[in-house]
Amino acid sequence: MKKIAFFLGKGGVGKTTISSAVAYQFAKEGKRVLIVSLDPAHNLGDVFQKSLANTPRSLDANLEGMEIDLAVWVEKYLKESREEIKANYMYQSAFSVDAYIDILKYSPGTEEYAVLWAIEYVYKEYGGRCDLIIFDTPPTALTLRFLAMPSITRLWVRELSRLREKILQKRQTILRINPKASIVRNLSEETEDAQDEPKVRGAAKKEDDLIYTKLSSIASRLAELQRLFSHESYLAVVVNPDTLSVAEALRIRQELGKLDVRLNSICLNKTTEGGEGRQNVEKNFGDCPVFATGLRQGGIGEVSQLAEIQAGGLKNDMKRFGQE
Amino acid sequence: MGAILALKRVFGFAGKVWRLATEVHRIKATDMLTFEVNEMENLFTILVCGSFMGLPSPPAAIAIELLPYMEHELRLMVARADFSQDALASIMDMLHVD
Repeated sequence: MKKIAFFLGKGGVGKTTISSAVAYQFAKEGKRVLIVSLDPAHNLGDVFQKSLANTPRSLDANLEGMEIDLAVWVEKYLKESREEIKANYMYQSAFSVDAYIDILKYSPGTEEYAVLWAIEYVYKEYGGRCDLIIFDTPPTALTLRFLAMPSITRLWVRELSRLREKILQKRQTILRINPKASIVRNLSEETEDAQDEPKVRGAAKKEDDLIYTKLSSIASRLAELQRLFSHESYLAVVVNPDTLSVAEALRIRQELGKLDVRLNSICLNKTTEGGEGRQNVEKNFGDCPVFATGLRQGGIGEVSQLAEIQAGGLKNDMKRFGQE
Repeated sequence: MGAILALKRVFGFAGKVWRLATEVHRIKATDMLTFEVNEMENLFTILVCGSFMGLPSPPAAIAIELLPYMEHELRLMVARADFSQDALASIMDMLHVD
């Protein structure tokens, strides 16, 4: 069985209910499960009738749950960056970098990035003590953006690294031509009367350049996340027997294909015992197994009702992956 | 004996001239390459912080991660903004054209 499972789908199709049922039933079988809500509009705690937070809390035997607060994660990264700036900069007030970072909080992409690092943190911090981590994702748009983030960002990081390499090569050339060139002299010295001396600063080797090493570390973290999504994760899309949710599921599969991430199964939720709409879903997702989870009139009232949701086929499919 | 001494002086002088010329060219070459490096560093900063100038740029989070190490690059970018007001003069200065 793969270590991570993601439940995706249109808003309101029952992602939280299905992911909770799967987590609950695996935990009942003796697997240690952590269920994590990434949806900014959390309702995982409502399903289990417990208050959840940014750290795992026990929900049942073998089962823990947590709700990622994206605002806290964004603040955490900004705080780390601010502290590093204060430590590294000669004087920060000159550029009002602090104010600049405050604005960055509202930049597009920051939230998706925070989700990525939250997933990485959960996997590294709690992966060792769990057999399975289940992520209940936000509605499609945000989920696809954060799943796409590693591959898009890696392209940028690769290009920035190439440019940085060229800068370092030029600095090495300068040092070869003029070994006396001071490449570590800071700008305050330069502004004084040292016009005749070479004005190259910083490192000349990749391993000494802080920016290059930071770019390399970002690239390797992103590569690891991409590997996590494409090789270590089981992805299921929850659909209802209606045209809109099926159409959105098709778009999800198409987008995942572009990212080289495989969609493993379809969970048909809110269908009748006769399997209303199943044929339509199977027709659209011919190569993907479809599991009907049964319809619960009135939704989940008690936690124990999670055991009644038909998730046997889905669980067997999840167990099968990773054993091939 | 006198001829040898004179020859030594000539070679000594020629050596000094050679070393001086080499040094001058070395400094000129270094200046030009430094100019190029500064331009590349400026380009790097503009790329990283491009979202603030309406340029295509990497996700803002990359800027957050790199900013702590980019003090020099940021100062250079501000200096380059001044330089762009009179770029020709700066290039003439680099080439030692009076």
